[in-house]
Amino acid sequence: MNDTVTLPLSVFIVDDEPLARSRLKDLLDDCRAQIELEVTGEAGSGIEALEKLNQHPAEVVLTDIRMPGMDGMELAMHLNKLDKPPVIIFTTAYDSYAVQAFEQRAIDYLLKPIRLGRLFEAISRARDAVPLRTEVLRELIPEARTHLSAHERGKVLPIAIEDVLYLRAEMKYVTVRTAEREYLIEESLTALEKEYATRFVRIHRNCLVAKSAIAGFEKGGEEGESGWLLRLHGLEERLPVSRRQWPSVKVLECMQDQGDQ
Amino acid sequence: MPGTRSIKQNIPYRLLPDFRNLGTVLRILVVGNLLALFVALMRVTSFSELGQRMLLDSALLQPILLSMLLVLYLLDRRLQRLPYWQAAGAIVLLSVGITWGYAWLGGSLFDEVHGSSAFVEWRRMLLAASLSGVLLTYFRWRARAMSPALQGARLQALQARIRPHFLFNSINAVLAIVRAEPRRAETALEDMADLFRMAMGDGHDLVTLKHEVLLAERYLSLERLRMGERLQVHWDKTRMPPGALIPPLLLQPLLENAVYHGIEPLAEGGVIEIAIYAEERRLHLSVRNPLTDKAAQTGGNHLALSNIRERLSLLFDVEAEYRVTRQDGSYDVHIVIPLLQP
Repeated sequence: MNDTVTLPLSVFIVDDEPLARSRLKDLLDDCRAQIELEVTGEAGSGIEALEKLNQHPAEVVLTDIRMPGMDGMELAMHLNKLDKPPVIIFTTAYDSYAVQAFEQRAIDYLLKPIRLGRLFEAISRARDAVPLRTEVLRELIPEARTHLSAHERGKVLPIAIEDVLYLRAEMKYVTVRTAEREYLIEESLTALEKEYATRFVRIHRNCLVAKSAIAGFEKGGEEGESGWLLRLHGLEERLPVSRRQWPSVKVLECMQDQGDQ
Repeated sequence: MPGTRSIKQNIPYRLLPDFRNLGTVLRILVVGNLLALFVALMRVTSFSELGQRMLLDSALLQPILLSMLLVLYLLDRRLQRLPYWQAAGAIVLLSVGITWGYAWLGGSLFDEVHGSSAFVEWRRMLLAASLSGVLLTYFRWRARAMSPALQGARLQALQARIRPHFLFNSINAVLAIVRAEPRRAETALEDMADLFRMAMGDGHDLVTLKHEVLLAERYLSLERLRMGERLQVHWDKTRMPPGALIPPLLLQPLLENAVYHGIEPLAEGGVIEIAIYAEERRLHLSVRNPLTDKAAQTGGNHLALSNIRERLSLLFDVEAEYRVTRQDGSYDVHIVIPLLQP
């Protein structure tokens, strides 16, 4: 222990219900008599929390689980990419699935309505708590994430999955391409393909393309490929389709033609 | 409670069936004809003979069955007021009387099929009496068998009707305003008490539509407390008969589903549209909410609503309709039940 202990503990609150946030603030105020802490901010959604925490990191994040868009568990996963990941304490009104999962992995959670005593206990433990491991969080999320996230200059940049045009594996990274720019993320293309099986189609050993982004096909490309290039909505770039993937991609093209009629 | 009527007097839980119920009518026709088929089967020795026998028997049986149904329909209210055994006796006598009447009218037509002798006359009456007896026993057995199901469904419904998720989140929201806005907290707790009083009731009594709508509004105001502007509600009650009777908590679970699956997953919120109207002696309830991507993918609220569908079929048999449509990004549950006036 060193002298940082004397600094107030910074706490950030995430919940989509304004009243739930104000209840937590009231309770944290009550905790102040016994523990030095400071509420550094609050957010109504996972995305907003990510943006605010990029600017002003906090040591403890109290987050609701069920929220529109990015839920609490996914938020925790993205926050883990920060240089100094916060300690996450989940709050939930009733979610038997999550509670069971937390119990199994000894993850701290608070049941709403939250009691002052329980909150105080969790907050006091937070200083010494170890951040949750990303793999553990990954297991907790039953469905596909709503966002991918890239880590750049100490910040976490969320990338909405519906903005992604294609994913391409390069060395140990995956390039994520949106209409605006490229990001690098540290994930495996195979795992991404599995997670978003309905959204993307594999057109090449190293490339997954969003089905909705496919604009059409044209002849060309290097030798050894199928001889077809793929055009995308909103991008000049053409992507080669491998000979091996061509049959499954071609089916999509036919479906698209029918869709246009 | 004003204007209440018991489900017991109304819907399946009674030993004598409702003879004006389409389900009852269909059952009488099916069971009556099945029994005739068995009788025919006993008396023949070949397939071709079976066909002829069935045609002949059926030609004579149908007018009797249909007239009987008509008489029962007309006398239904009167029969329901009698003690069970008197009503049952009256029905058996009626069936014998109608059979006798047809045999007298049909005369030689019946004789050609069955032969003519005093014994045949007696046998005909006996068969008519037995058929009514069998049917009455069947309905009595069915009423008995269904009532535990009704209880079970009610218990099950009780658990699903108000989600724990809603209870705990609401308490949490009320706790949040207790210090700053005690009056608003009071109203919210009163709303909650009304809602749970109804949910914990035995569900036997029918309530007026006005009452059910009031309860639904209380429920929505609690959700509104939590979700604020995200939850918008449009009511269409212009053609609603406020005095009509419906089973309690029919509307609230529909709204709860709409909020949970249709509004909560949307960061910007959305609109729930509720329409209630009477049309041709039927009461229509329709609840529409935005169809979210998640709900569209997972099949949405289907599972949670099966409970309501089950309750409807227990209460109204085939006379209730239950339709779900998903289109243009909206999810629409439409319920049609018989219009009951006090």
